[in-house]
Amino acid sequence: MTVTHPVVAEEVALGGGRSPAPPGRPPAADVVGRLTRPLPALLLVGLLAAGWQLMADASGSALIPGLGDVARNLVDIAASGALWDNVRVTLTRVALGFAAAFVVSVAAGIAMGRSEWLRRFLEPAVLIGLATPGLVKALLCVIWFGVSLLNPILTVALAAAPALTINVAQGVRSVDPALGEMAHVYRLDALTRLRYVWLPAIVPDLFTGARLGIAMAWKVIVLVEIFGLADGVGYQLNLEFSQHNVAGVLAWTVAFALVMAAIEYGLLQTLERRAVRWRRVALR
Amino acid sequence: MSVRISLDGVDKAFTNRRTGERQQIFRDFSLTLAPDELVAVVGGSGTGKTTLMHLIAGLERPDAGTVSTGGGRPRLGMVFQQPRLLDWTSVETNVRLAATAAGVDAAEVAPILAAVGLTEYARSYPSVLSGGQRQRVAVARAFVVRPEVLLLDEPFSALDELTARRLRLLLQQLWLRTPRTGLLVTHNALEAAFLADRVVVLGGRPAEVVREYRIDRPRPRSPEDPELFDVHRRIVAALT
Ligand SMILES: Nc1ncnc2c1ncn2[C@@H]1O[C@H](COP(=O)(O)OP(=O)(O)O)[C@@H](O)[C@H]1O
Ligand SMILES: [Mg+2]
Repeated sequence: MTVTHPVVAEEVALGGGRSPAPPGRPPAADVVGRLTRPLPALLLVGLLAAGWQLMADASGSALIPGLGDVARNLVDIAASGALWDNVRVTLTRVALGFAAAFVVSVAAGIAMGRSEWLRRFLEPAVLIGLATPGLVKALLCVIWFGVSLLNPILTVALAAAPALTINVAQGVRSVDPALGEMAHVYRLDALTRLRYVWLPAIVPDLFTGARLGIAMAWKVIVLVEIFGLADGVGYQLNLEFSQHNVAGVLAWTVAFALVMAAIEYGLLQTLERRAVRWRRVALR
Repeated sequence: MSVRISLDGVDKAFTNRRTGERQQIFRDFSLTLAPDELVAVVGGSGTGKTTLMHLIAGLERPDAGTVSTGGGRPRLGMVFQQPRLLDWTSVETNVRLAATAAGVDAAEVAPILAAVGLTEYARSYPSVLSGGQRQRVAVARAFVVRPEVLLLDEPFSALDELTARRLRLLLQQLWLRTPRTGLLVTHNALEAAFLADRVVVLGGRPAEVVREYRIDRPRPRSPEDPELFDVHRRIVAALT
């Protein structure tokens, strides 16, 4: 078609200058707010630590080591390089396993969200996966796959996938069908629909699923490392346990908790804030 | 390309989800829109005006009969009763996605946004806009694709009168430049008389064409044309 475009702005000028100034970018980050946000969480950690120390002092037992003991163990494993080596090994396993679960779950979740038949077909598998204890998954993978890298990746994937899948399916089901009709009328192609209609709509459920999935992943990776592998945080925990070093067990536990906190606060929450920025702008 | 739209012997029923009752919206319903004709449909709410539009857009299939849009699948510009915007991306992107899918250059987005008075909001999220402004985005999206068929479902009813008036003028201008086949659903009989070549009054269940008015006033028309008021009076009389 070679028609010139029929709408010319000048001829029916609408609303020029009448509209109020549009809202700009969100105001520069509120520094005070950003600094005070972690205070409640830090307060809780401080209280727990103080309570622990009181308990340690009162009991005087080697089974409840004081904070100083735990800190010394933490410094030791950090100085020897063992801390970083093992955390890296464990994180790599979790990351690979979670990535595998993510790909499978997004595909399966979208399928289940869009087709009633596929939902009925896949739902039992997902529910069995959710109900099976992480210990069982870990043991079976150790038995079947031994010490190969496949073992921890598969265990983590099996642990993370069910929660992730159910949440993606839920998100897809909640996408407004009116937007699908709009996409159909304007003939948006499949990639545009995925990028602009499906994914943004399921982002909140995707994050819920990712959190649950990662939580499950942490639990099983430790088990797999205890039962079937010769390195990683779980292996080190078991090593300290067998040497009756309670402070060592606690030092690894603290290290592990710090890594999880870094992932939740540093990675997940940052990504989530960016993904749902449009909601916050809307609330202004 | 000019498109003739015809519905022939169309049956369409819905089952009410709550009561389980079957509602026959259309039975043996026929309507033809001549090429480049703008037809306005007025009628009480729940008559089947939106259903008629969805049948033409291919969003609903008739239970019986045929809906034809000139053999092919014409390029549609559609303003739904709700704006149906992607809230997580900018106003500009909302319009651009439709333009790109229709093979229209992205450079044409800005003039359209200017025409609906939203230039300053191009980079804003739709969620910061008022209801009327959101509907104007939907109008821009419908116009930008150079539609062969334009389907407008109460497009201006959520707007303040001043904006509605300007968009009616914009719509008239669109027809003056490039006529195309169009269906305009409206509750506003004067709007129908001002814009349409023909006004169809829909009523009853199943819905039928109760009355039809051909409006032969040449364009450009004036919203103050006394003759249009006369038509308006007769449409209102038919509605009540
Ligand atoms: N998808 C649907 N499922 C069930 N009932 C529907 C559906 N769409 C419309 N209806 C019913 O059909 C009737 C006509 O609806 P509609 O075409 O939207 O009316 P109008 O646009 O004239 O107000 C209404 O009673 C409505 O409840
Ligand atoms: Mg309607």
